[in-house]
Amino acid sequence: MEAIASITSDVIETTPSASPAAPTLINGSHALMKALVAEGVDTIFGYPGGAIMPVYDALYDYQEQLNHILVRHEQGAAHAAEGYARVTGRAGVCLVTSGPGATNLVTGIADALIDSTPMVCIVGQVAKKLLGTDAFQEADVMGVTMPITKWNYQITDADEVPEILSKAFYIAQSGRPGPVLIDITKSAQLELMTKPFVYERCRSMVSYRPRRIPKQEQVEAAARLINSAKRPYIFVGHGVQIAKAESELIAFAEKTGIPVATTLLGQSTISTDHPLYVGWLGMHGNYGSNVMTDNADVIIAIGMRFDDRVTGDASKYIKQAKVVHIEIDPSEIDKIIRADAPVVGDAKEALKALLPLVDPNDHTVWRNEFRKYDAIENEAITVPVLTSTEGKIRMGEVIDMLSKKTKGEAILVTDVGQHQMMSSRYYQFRKPNSLVTSGGMGTMGFALPAAFGAQVGAPDRQVVAIIGDGCFQMTLQELGTIVQNKQPVKAIILNNNFLGMVRQWQQLFHERRYSFVELQNPDFITIARGFGMSGQTCDERENLSDALDTMLNHDGPFLLEVIVEKEENVFPMVPAGASVSQIRLK
Amino acid sequence: MTDYTICIFTENTIGLLNRITIIFTRRRINIESLTVSETERKGVSRFTIVIKHESREEVEKLVRQIRKIVEVMAVFGYLNDEIVYNEIALFKVSTPLGSKPLDVETINKEHKAWVVYWGLDYVVIEKTGNDTEIVDFFTYINQYEILEFVRSGRVAVGKTEKGLVEYLPEAEWAYYL
Repeated sequence: MEAIASITSDVIETTPSASPAAPTLINGSHALMKALVAEGVDTIFGYPGGAIMPVYDALYDYQEQLNHILVRHEQGAAHAAEGYARVTGRAGVCLVTSGPGATNLVTGIADALIDSTPMVCIVGQVAKKLLGTDAFQEADVMGVTMPITKWNYQITDADEVPEILSKAFYIAQSGRPGPVLIDITKSAQLELMTKPFVYERCRSMVSYRPRRIPKQEQVEAAARLINSAKRPYIFVGHGVQIAKAESELIAFAEKTGIPVATTLLGQSTISTDHPLYVGWLGMHGNYGSNVMTDNADVIIAIGMRFDDRVTGDASKYIKQAKVVHIEIDPSEIDKIIRADAPVVGDAKEALKALLPLVDPNDHTVWRNEFRKYDAIENEAITVPVLTSTEGKIRMGEVIDMLSKKTKGEAILVTDVGQHQMMSSRYYQFRKPNSLVTSGGMGTMGFALPAAFGAQVGAPDRQVVAIIGDGCFQMTLQELGTIVQNKQPVKAIILNNNFLGMVRQWQQLFHERRYSFVELQNPDFITIARGFGMSGQTCDERENLSDALDTMLNHDGPFLLEVIVEKEENVFPMVPAGASVSQIRLK
Repeated sequence: MTDYTICIFTENTIGLLNRITIIFTRRRINIESLTVSETERKGVSRFTIVIKHESREEVEKLVRQIRKIVEVMAVFGYLNDEIVYNEIALFKVSTPLGSKPLDVETINKEHKAWVVYWGLDYVVIEKTGNDTEIVDFFTYINQYEILEFVRSGRVAVGKTEKGLVEYLPEAEWAYYL
C-alpha cells in the first residue's frame, strides 16, 4: 500500500528559536502530535485518562490539525478506527489511557489483525520508574497485545517518539496491513526531547521488507498454469481491495473469461451484476460458487487465505485443482492449501504483471455451469424469501429493499451473525469498498462504531449499518458518539429477539435445545431518542418501504428497528467441518 | 518425532523472545532448548531453538510464521545432519573425604570432559557434546553423588561455507520468495 501522500515534505523539523544556539525542545507529547501531523493523520478516535493526560493536553493545541473524536468506550474507538481504515486504506488511529483503556482496545486490535486492517493504537503507560510495580492502572499491555499486533513497542524516552511513530505507520500500512500498538510512558510524554524534533518518514527496515513486486518467474509459472486451464476459477479476497486492484482484477478476468467468486471480505470488489461474477464462497455463500470449486481444474486465489469458513474440511478441499496463489504475505502460501504456483507480491502488481502473459479466452460453457446452480438456489431460497407474504418480515427482504433503494451504492457495515450473512446474500454491491464487516474474528458489537468510523472516513458516501439485536447491545453506547459528531449514519436493527446464528446452530445441530439465546430486549428507539437520535420501529411488511425511505431521507443519523421472523435460518450452509460440496439448501 | 533446529536472526529488541515463543505456544509445540546470543554482527541476535515434530510441513509453516515477525531478519530450519551442534553440561559431583576417588583419566580420555573447579568436598566437571554424549557421561558419573546438574541449550552452525549471518541483511531468502 502506498504511504499517505497528504504532507508536502518527508522531513519536518521544529521551528528554530531566535537563537540558533538554543533550539526549541519539545516534550514527548508534542512530539507525538507533530509525528501524527507529519503522517497525515486527520482523525483520532480516543478516550482520555490519567496516563495519557499529557498527550491530551498537547492535543488541545492541535485541534485544528487533528480531529479527535471522543468515543464512549475504547472498544468503540478500535472499531471506529477499523471502519475508518477499511474505507480510506489509511491507518485508523486510537488514543487511549493505560490499564483498562488499553485492554478495552484488545478486541478491536485482534479484529484488525485477522482482517488485515491498518491501525495505530497509542496507549498511555505509567511513568518509567513505576513500570512493573503494579501501579495504578498499570497493565502489561505489551505482553497482552504481542500476539494480536503486527508490531508493538514501548516508548520510555521522548527522543524515541519520531522514529517509533514513523516505523509504526510504515509497518501498519505496508505489506499485509495490520494493527500496531505504541505504549508510551507518562514520563516520556512529559519529558523534553534532548534534540530538536526531526521527522523522517520510514520507507524501509532492515528486518521488514514486504515484497510488492512479484518475481517474474513466479508470474510466468502462474500464467502458464492459467493458460493451460480448461475450467479456471478466480477467488478474490480482501487483499484485492487493500491493494486497490479492482480494475486490474476486472481486466484480468475479462481478458481470460474466468468466473470470479469472492470471499466474505472480498465482496464488492467486483459488481454483483458483472457477467463474470458467480457469487461468494464459504459457509453461507452461494450454492454454485461453492459447489463448482470441486469442478475447477485451476484456482487462482488472489489476496485470500483459505479461511476455514471458506474451505470447510480443508483435507477434502479442491483436491482436483492446481492452485495459483497470489498473496503479499508469504506465510499464507501453503499454510492451508498447497500452491502449485505461488506468486508473492501485491495483488495490483501481480495482476499487472500477469495480464500481458495470459491468453484471451472465453470459458462460456464452463461459466454457464454456475448459472444452473444459481437457478436452483433462487428457486429454493431467494425467491421464497423475497416474495414472502406470510409471517413476519424476513431479513432478506429488508436487505433486498435497501439494496434497491440505495442502488447498491451504500457502504454496508455489518455486525456478526445471521444479519451479516443475509446482508452479504441480498445486497447487490455495485461499487468497490462497500462492505465493512468483521470477518475473521467475528466480533459482535463491531458494526455501530465501525459504521461511524466509515462515515468519518467516507463523508460523501451513504453508510448503513446492519445490526442484530444481540450485537447492538454490545456497543450501543456509541450512539452518543454518532450524535455528538453529527454523522449521518443509518443503522438498521434486524430484531428477532434471539442470538440468531447461535439459535440456528442449536436448531440444526443441537436438537433445538435453545440454550441461552433468547433476549429480553429494551425499547431500542427510546434508547436512541435518549441519545438524541431519531428512529422508528417497523413491524409490518407493508410499512417496510416507507420506513426505509424515512431512514434514508432523514437528515442526520437514524435508527430503524425492523421486527423480523424469529426463527429464520440462513441458507445455503456448509455445516462446520463438512466439505463444501455438502452445502445444504435447507 | 524428528529433531529440528531453528535458527532465527533478529534485531536485538526487548520483548522479542516473548513474541517468538508465542508462535510455538499457540501451536502447542514444546521448545526442547533455546539459546540466544549476539552474533558477530552488532545488533543482530541469533536464537537457536530445538523442537521435536512429526511433520516437516508443519515445521516449514512455523518457520514462515516466525519470519513474519517484524524484527526477524531470517529463519532457517535444519535437520541434525545439516548442522554442527553442541551443548554444554556442568556436573557438580560430591567428593567428600574417604569417598571413592574420581577416575580423572576416564573422565578426560573416554568422555572428553574436564574438571573445571575443585571445591573442598566437590568438583565441577564440564562436558560438551551432543545430547547422547552428555547422557552417556551422566550415566557414567552417576556412580558418584551428583549434587547439581545443568545443561545448556543447543548451539549450532549450519554446514555451509559461510556463516549464515554473512548474508544479512541483504539476503534474498529463496525459500520465501
